[in-house]
Order: sequence, then C-alpha cells, then structure tokens
Amino acid sequence: MVFIWKFNRLRMKYLNGIIDSIQRTNYDPDATAFFLRINAAGGNTTLTEKNAVNQLVLDLKANSLWTSMLAIYPMVGSSAASCAQNLKSSSYTGIFSGGWTYASTGITGNGTNSYMDTNFNSKISLIPDSSHISYYSRTSLPANTEGDMGAYGTFPTNFYTHIRYLGDAYYVLLAIEEFQSVSNNTTLGFFNGNRNTYDVSHFRNGINLGTTIQNSAPLPDLNTYLCAINASEIAISFNTKQCAFSSIGTGLTDIQSNNFYTVVQSFQTSLSRQV
Amino acid sequence: MIGYILTIEQKDSIQGVEYAPYQTFNCVQDINNIWYTFLSDEQKPLLIGTEWIWILTLPVSEYIPPPPPPFPPQ
Repeated sequence: MVFIWKFNRLRMKYLNGIIDSIQRTNYDPDATAFFLRINAAGGNTTLTEKNAVNQLVLDLKANSLWTSMLAIYPMVGSSAASCAQNLKSSSYTGIFSGGWTYASTGITGNGTNSYMDTNFNSKISLIPDSSHISYYSRTSLPANTEGDMGAYGTFPTNFYTHIRYLGDAYYVLLAIEEFQSVSNNTTLGFFNGNRNTYDVSHFRNGINLGTTIQNSAPLPDLNTYLCAINASEIAISFNTKQCAFSSIGTGLTDIQSNNFYTVVQSFQTSLSRQV
Repeated sequence: MIGYILTIEQKDSIQGVEYAPYQTFNCVQDINNIWYTFLSDEQKPLLIGTEWIWILTLPVSEYIPPPPPPFPPQ
C-alpha cells in the first residue's frame, strides 16, 4: 500500500507503512529551471543532487553571491548533457570536446584533447576591473603545466588560471599586465581567483594566498574554456584534475570569497565528494 | 596514451563535429605532427550506429605530445 504525505515542502512516500522516499516538492525557481534544462537536454539528476543544488542556490542567494555569478557549473548528473548546464541561466551552456569521464564526483578530462567550451566570452560579459573564476579540483597532482580554465589572446589580453604551475606557482591572470604568481603547493580544493580594480587575489579554500597589484589589460575576445586554456581559438594545456564545480562572474570581495568557499564546500559535502 | 591515428582528410571531416549531445570530436597533433583523436571508454559506445563508427576501426598508437607552449605566452 502506498501513502503519500506532504508537509512543509517535503513529500514523504510510504510503502507498506515504511518511508520509501522523501522528496522536496518546492525548489527555488532558479534550481527548478536548472533541473528543467537538464531534463530537456536529456540528462538526469538524483534526488540527492537536486536537494544539494537547491540548497546551493539558496546559500548563494543568502550570502549575496548569486548576483555576482554569470555562469555556474555544479557538475551534477554524471553525463555531458547534465554537466554542460549553467545553473545561473540558460546562457553559456557548455560543449565538451575530446575524451571525458563523467561521474557523480565530477568531470575529468584526459589531459590530451579534452576541454569544455563554456561559450562565455569575457570581453563581452565582463569588465577588466571586476571578474572572478573558480575551479573545484578533486585531484592531487604535482606542479605541472596544466591549464585549468580561461582564455588568452595576444599579450596582454588574458583571462585564465593555472592553479599549480611549475614551481608551485598559482597564477590568476585576469586582465593583468604582468605575470605574477603566489605560492601554492596543492591542486586539491576550491580555487577562486578574483580581480577587483587593481587587486588580483588568489584564494584557495576561502583563504587568500596572496594579492598582486595589476594595471588593467584587455579581456580576450574568446570563449572561456574549462579544464584547458583557449589560446587564440586553439585549446592548449589540457588538464586531468577532476572538476566538481566551476564559476565565472564579477569580482568578489575577500569576505565574499570566504563565504563562497563555505557554500561550495557545503554543497560538495552534501554530495559526499568534498576534498 | 593510446589514440586513434587520423589522416588530414579524416581530421578535417570530424574536427568539432557534434557526435552526441554536448560532445564534439577534438583532434590534436603529436610531436611529429600526426593527427590523433581520443575518446573515453564511456564515449566510444556513443559512436555505435552512427556515421562515425569508422573511427573505432582506425589504427591506434601511443601519442607523444608536443612540448608544452611557452609560458608566459608572448
């Protein structure tokens, strides 16, 4: 016998007197729109993923982060169709190129020919003095030449990051004029690079590892790639770090960046894939 | 890494082509300028029953990447 009981946005289904499933029935409208986009694309999400994404949206809004986001890739659904979707809007849907693995823990490129084109052109959608990019990496690697996301054209047009380049150098290159890095000895965690006027900050897990002072250069008139770099329309520096979240948007303050980590880490924890 | 070896004509015919929803081919050159493409084990079955099934019959070989691009770029 099946009995369904609805209370306080929860839908509890009883089967033979035992709780069979609990489902939230009233998601945030932006979360609902995201789930509909996934379904329309042929993808799927589990109830746990839906609840986690919904809470992510609520937390981003509660912490005044939502409006700073232009593209959010929560990497749920274990498929190209699901992981390509932008949580923030129906714009900037990704396209995966090359060899990929899609799992409940995120997306992983093969480091040889794989990248996701976000269709996000920083020159069109941002201004040089205010931007951020973020990448949640679940893979531990030694320092290497892998690129993690972004694009660059003829110097000095740039919008990209290497979270652990050779020499343990963490580069956040957001419309910068000089190549400066801060020290970082791990590829695990949530990396968030920000530009606010002259300050370019290098966050890992909510902590600013260092700020460089930069004059503004132009942003590239190129699509932002994920898990590689778009070098004047050629994908290079393919990476192998499993990506469990990424975002692009306007610059975040230090407090916002710290809160952003807390929100994203809570999201990852609810999916049992935090590092 | 083992990849499928492509002629230039084959590369031109598949580069950037969407073979499944939200997934396109990407071809890269090795250290000797030979073209390769790579698919994961979960992507290969997507070619079955499509006009791209021939890719799975191409010769395979170990891929040796070209040197990484200079950094900082000029």
